[in-house]
Amino acid sequence: MSIKLIGFPSSGPLLRVIITLRELGLPYELEIPANIQAIKEEDYIKNKHPFGKIPVLIDGDFVINESRPICTYLVSKYQGKHNNTNLIPSDVHKAGLVGQYVSYESSYYDPPISTIIYQEIYSKKFHNKDPDPEVVKQAREELAKVLDVYEKILEGKEYLNGEYSIADIFHIPSTHYVYGIDAHSDLWDSRPNVKNWWNRLYNREAVKKTFDEIKN
Amino acid sequence: MTIKLIGFLISTSTLRVIICLKELGIPYELEPPASFQSLKDKDYIANKHPFGRIPVLFDGDFRINESRAICRYLVSKYQGKYNNTILIPNDVYKAGLVEQFISYESCYYDSPVSQIVSQELLAKKFWGKDPDPEVLKEARKNLNKVLDVYEKLLEGKEYLVGEFSLADIFHCPGTNLAYGIVTHSDLWDNRPNVKNWWNNLCNRDTIKKSFEEYRA
Repeated sequence: MSIKLIGFPSSGPLLRVIITLRELGLPYELEIPANIQAIKEEDYIKNKHPFGKIPVLIDGDFVINESRPICTYLVSKYQGKHNNTNLIPSDVHKAGLVGQYVSYESSYYDPPISTIIYQEIYSKKFHNKDPDPEVVKQAREELAKVLDVYEKILEGKEYLNGEYSIADIFHIPSTHYVYGIDAHSDLWDSRPNVKNWWNRLYNREAVKKTFDEIKN
Repeated sequence: MTIKLIGFLISTSTLRVIICLKELGIPYELEPPASFQSLKDKDYIANKHPFGRIPVLFDGDFRINESRAICRYLVSKYQGKYNNTILIPNDVYKAGLVEQFISYESCYYDSPVSQIVSQELLAKKFWGKDPDPEVLKEARKNLNKVLDVYEKLLEGKEYLVGEFSLADIFHCPGTNLAYGIVTHSDLWDNRPNVKNWWNNLCNRDTIKKSFEEYRA
């Protein structure tokens, strides 16, 4: 039985899961909800996601939601089954550090980058409001400080924990969206280690394929 | 060599790790930093936490930071070594659901709880400002929605995934502070399943002990 993934194709959290599925060599079917109302309906709330969100993954009878737990579940169940890609090391110390970088993404990287995404992409599209330049400026400053730290962390490393891992994947979708805005790509491009890291991530087969799909 | 934990007892993230250490029966030493200011020192940033935060854990030569990552590492390395307490089940599906509830805590529960704690307990102390009634009103509104969902999720269950897990621990420190503010305890007390869950948690030896240490 194929894995079923529910979500909207351009959603950042959904893309985290899609990249993970691809990296692990796992086939899946994407089911796109009819509209945003559909995920707030009683049936969806009861059986798919009690907070009315996406993505949701259904593996046989098993239903799991929230992108980061979904990815961690996929790794624990399927890593090494379809190919040799390791997203969480088996060594307990290396795995611990991957967890640490996963936490950096949600604690420090995601908040300012989500603010920029909201201002520059969602505000106009969904609420017909122009971006607030003060808010964007502050978010850029915050993100710049975070990327200064990442510049040091990535010194002499190809990926956050040395080898490619789930921690890198979690950074990809939101970075793709903000890096793609001309006015903001300098945040990554002006820092050599960060720039290299992003280029490396962006050029991975699974990542390229995923972003090509949403372009179409 | 004993595990060394750097942090302050008043910090909810430090308390998360302390509860986890106690639950797993792991001996440790708590080393409070000189001050909150010292966390921004060059030496601390270079050798303890690149974002200048607490807690940080040293296990021999191994250093790891970020409370949730630290707890997961402790579980993978020490679960079952000192006692029989299971914080993350071995079963891949049950473990997946624990991670899902951990995500609910950081994505939905933590923000409104932290807003309440910040306004009522920290604003005066750290910024010399009175609690903002508008912010509190919004935070309560959001937390009400979240706890309505929890009320359903806890139906017929003692703990979030049925048995006690790391997901419950992660909710404890913030809830302890917010629930302790007399004008807000109704949020939990008005919902029978939620009230029961919180009482179960408060009555666990390790949690009771951790809260007592925090109060002292």
